[in-house]
Amino acid sequence: MIDVADLTKTYGNIRAVNKVTLTIGKGEVFGLLGPNGAGKTTIIKILTALARPDSGRCRIAGLEMDRCPAMIKRMIGVMPQDNNLDRELTAGENLRIYGMLHGLDDLAARMDKTLAAVGLPDRRGSLVSHFSGGMQRRLLLGRALLTEPDVLFLDEPSIGLDPQIRRQMWDLIRKARIDGRTVVITTHYIEEAENLCDRVGILAKGTLIALDSPSGLKAQVGEYVVEYVNEEGRLVQHMCPGRTEAHALAGRMEGTVTIRRSNLEDVFVKLTGERLE
Amino acid sequence: MTRLFEWYPIYLREMLLFRRKLFKLGYLFSAMVVPIIYLVAFGLGLGKSVQTGHGNYLDFLIPGLVAMSSMSNSYTWVANALNLNRLYFKTFQLFVQAPISPFSIMIGEVCAGVTKGLFASVLIIFVGFTISPRFTITPLFIMVLLLNCFLFACLGIVTGMITTSHEDTSTYANFFILPMAFFSGTFFPVDKIPPVIRWIIDVMPLTHTNILMRKTCLDGEGAVSLAVLLVYAVVFFMYGSHTIRRYSE
Repeated sequence: MIDVADLTKTYGNIRAVNKVTLTIGKGEVFGLLGPNGAGKTTIIKILTALARPDSGRCRIAGLEMDRCPAMIKRMIGVMPQDNNLDRELTAGENLRIYGMLHGLDDLAARMDKTLAAVGLPDRRGSLVSHFSGGMQRRLLLGRALLTEPDVLFLDEPSIGLDPQIRRQMWDLIRKARIDGRTVVITTHYIEEAENLCDRVGILAKGTLIALDSPSGLKAQVGEYVVEYVNEEGRLVQHMCPGRTEAHALAGRMEGTVTIRRSNLEDVFVKLTGERLE
Repeated sequence: MTRLFEWYPIYLREMLLFRRKLFKLGYLFSAMVVPIIYLVAFGLGLGKSVQTGHGNYLDFLIPGLVAMSSMSNSYTWVANALNLNRLYFKTFQLFVQAPISPFSIMIGEVCAGVTKGLFASVLIIFVGFTISPRFTITPLFIMVLLLNCFLFACLGIVTGMITTSHEDTSTYANFFILPMAFFSGTFFPVDKIPPVIRWIIDVMPLTHTNILMRKTCLDGEGAVSLAVLLVYAVVFFMYGSHTIRRYSE
């Protein structure tokens, strides 16, 4: 569904995206994981026609981004990281303007369906400025779904949300997947990537350093982690391929030792030597 | 929606936001306060000592105030809104990501700017009718008013698109809009100004709007001014469209 090859984008002397190549299949939920400034949002901007790459190729459903931008824009829905709802307009007015921009005919029915889907069925006439942060994020997702897009781009969809609302957001994303949409998510939340994504690409300083399923990535670096605090007070971690190896290693150590399953943050730390922030 | 009306959602959005602002009392006051201060200070104060060749100074001043008001409102509303929508509220990105042409974005924003400029101008025209019985509106006046709003809305797009911070918008206004407001024949005739400065004044589009708005019909001088305004309108429109087409974050 999405085919990216050697994508590069530079801002001044900073290379935000460095020769990224990846393919995302139809109906897949794909995660771009990385710390702030890793290049996740820049890739989304390029894939949604908001930024032009310096070099590289970008195709969606076989269409070249630089040749058929309008056709691609009809196929995609975007939930940006920044809340770009018009706060002085109502939820209904926001959806109406968006629907008109995308040339939708059956707007009234779609708006009702969308507002119901994101749990805001009776807030069509309410000003967005009166919404809580969680309601605004849900409306942003609803707006992206209004056109029933083939591809949904979600840039940090649950940023700033409390755990309960975050899980509601995840349910909505899972529903989009059940409906057959291809979903591309950027996130720096480990739990989000592990819970939602079929495959994850790990970005560091604009470069794609790993690409696999969450379990595949963990298997690459070790499925278990042995942790202990050394004499200097630093947390030391050792990756182990299996439970047996982890227990054997822990048995040779003194003091308090913890054994746990690895997560994508451990993968990131192992690959880059840095922590996700 | 056909391609012909792709611009309409952009215009509608601006008008919905504008309507909300209109209901706030401060807006109407702020749209009128500056021209009315000028009207009182110049028209009823200093104006008594100004020789215009147009008879009553108010008859000279009111068309100038309408021109100035249409310029500043069309320009400021578009430049500020576009700049804020692009850099801070990020709502401009919605237009870029929508399957509509950059030309439609331009048309929608310009139409919104023209409407806002006309609204402010109509307020001044009402005041003009109230205080000056000889003030009249001709078809030429209406056409030039529309052209002036269009031209400065296009300039507002250019400024809103090329500035990299909201403060820059004010800087551009201070360098171009404010001097034009004072030195383009709004408050006093420009024919006695020294030739070097006069040359600069003659280049300013508002000078030609002022010339045309004080005419009852189009003569030779008016035709030249109309041509100048049309050239400015085309250049600003083309450049504004270009900045939108080339937009990339």
